[in-house]
Amino acid sequence: MREEIIVSGRNNPLIDPQLHVWHWEIPTYLFLGGLAAGVMFFAALYYLRGRENDYRTAVKLAPMIAPIALALGLIALFLDLHHKLYFWRLYTTIRLESPMSWGAWTLMVITPVSIIWSALHIKELFPNWDWKFDFAKELIAFFQKNKKVLAWIMLISSAILGIYTGILFSAFNARPLWNTSIMGPLFLASGLSAGAAVVIWMSKNHTERKRFAQLDLMIIGIELFLIIHMFMGFLASTQVQIDAVKLFLGGPYTASFWGFVVILGMIVPAILEGLELKGYKIPVAIPVVLVLFGSVMLRFIISNAGQASRWLY
Amino acid sequence: MAIDTKKCVGCSDCVVACQTENDVPIGFCRDWVVEVMDGTYPQLEIELRSERCNHCENSPCVRCCPTGASHYSDGGIVLVTKNECIGCSACITSCPYDARYVHPDGYVDKCTFCLHRVKKGMQPACVAVCPTKCMYFGDLDDPGSEVSKVLKKRKYKTLIPEAGTKPQLYFLI
Repeated sequence: MREEIIVSGRNNPLIDPQLHVWHWEIPTYLFLGGLAAGVMFFAALYYLRGRENDYRTAVKLAPMIAPIALALGLIALFLDLHHKLYFWRLYTTIRLESPMSWGAWTLMVITPVSIIWSALHIKELFPNWDWKFDFAKELIAFFQKNKKVLAWIMLISSAILGIYTGILFSAFNARPLWNTSIMGPLFLASGLSAGAAVVIWMSKNHTERKRFAQLDLMIIGIELFLIIHMFMGFLASTQVQIDAVKLFLGGPYTASFWGFVVILGMIVPAILEGLELKGYKIPVAIPVVLVLFGSVMLRFIISNAGQASRWLY
Repeated sequence: MAIDTKKCVGCSDCVVACQTENDVPIGFCRDWVVEVMDGTYPQLEIELRSERCNHCENSPCVRCCPTGASHYSDGGIVLVTKNECIGCSACITSCPYDARYVHPDGYVDKCTFCLHRVKKGMQPACVAVCPTKCMYFGDLDDPGSEVSKVLKKRKYKTLIPEAGTKPQLYFLI
């Protein structure tokens, strides 16, 4: 039998025998960023469509999660850096070719926007809230007046944030499993699905819950469609990509991907939400937790499996 | 740089020379030897390659760096500026050759083609120390340089050119 044996003298920590330079921090941030993007996207969308009173949770309450999720995500990102004290270097330059630079600048825009949006609606949550200082009241009044502009910025930047979490991976040609442009839409869809799930969870209004359950069902359908296309694309591609996707088709990530992401994270909650729309009583927490779990697992599995895929030479 | 796989004996002198010259931390390496055995027993063939950063012309690491710390220096050498690097590891993930690593001090480190020596008119440490003289270093744009001449004479290959990075490390075969 003809054989090829490759022996490398290199054994650099975090690189060999298999790349494992990105740990829990990156997927955690990608999940939190995607979730924040999802919540903010729906808030901006329904505000701009003039439905803020019909979908009060989505427009006014759910976006309050976004600054918290973004802050935690930013902490995770910071922990991931190895040269932490130089993090400010991200903001001394704009590099259009680098997805990470895009991400850093998008976060610079979307984090304050999420805080302002939450501040505008804080009285919905705490009716006795008092801004105390005049300048704070003036600032809030200013943003209240320009809320439409703010909503447009939020809509666009949240879409960029949602897509960029996937592009961050897909831009790496060195890791064949990540190197597919489907990653961007897939991660955006997953973030939107997580955002819709959170709205369903927080909402007490039946019409709103129904609308977001319908939305979530549709997005899960899109995710499944994207996943099928991802596999079709990989299997029709070069040997390195066929090898990469085999991690999910019989390889070490098969059970976790299909079990946790596709079945538990997409199909089961879709069935439960469908049943609920048909009138069956199902505790709302179950599909919501499953969707969030699937969203977390998608990022962890893609991050880890991607680092396990490589070019062979 | 061109490396003669027919002359290399896999002694790893280049690895040690680099570690000494560049104060590479213990347990890390900027260059390494790869041994590929191919064939059906007993007709086996061994190829020995001293590998390092390919100083690609279309470097994914330079493209994905969010701060511009990874950059092209004189003559196309790919370098990392320590105090611009935030250690995000994007470049490490972007390199199909896995030629970079995180230095224990936090920044990302890699082969520099010993630019500090080259500027003084010396050869990179790995080239200078090679006991079989299997490495050729020089300016590929200069048709008179040693490396250009040997590439004109001999058959060569680059590693995974299909990754599209235009690697600049040539292996004579």
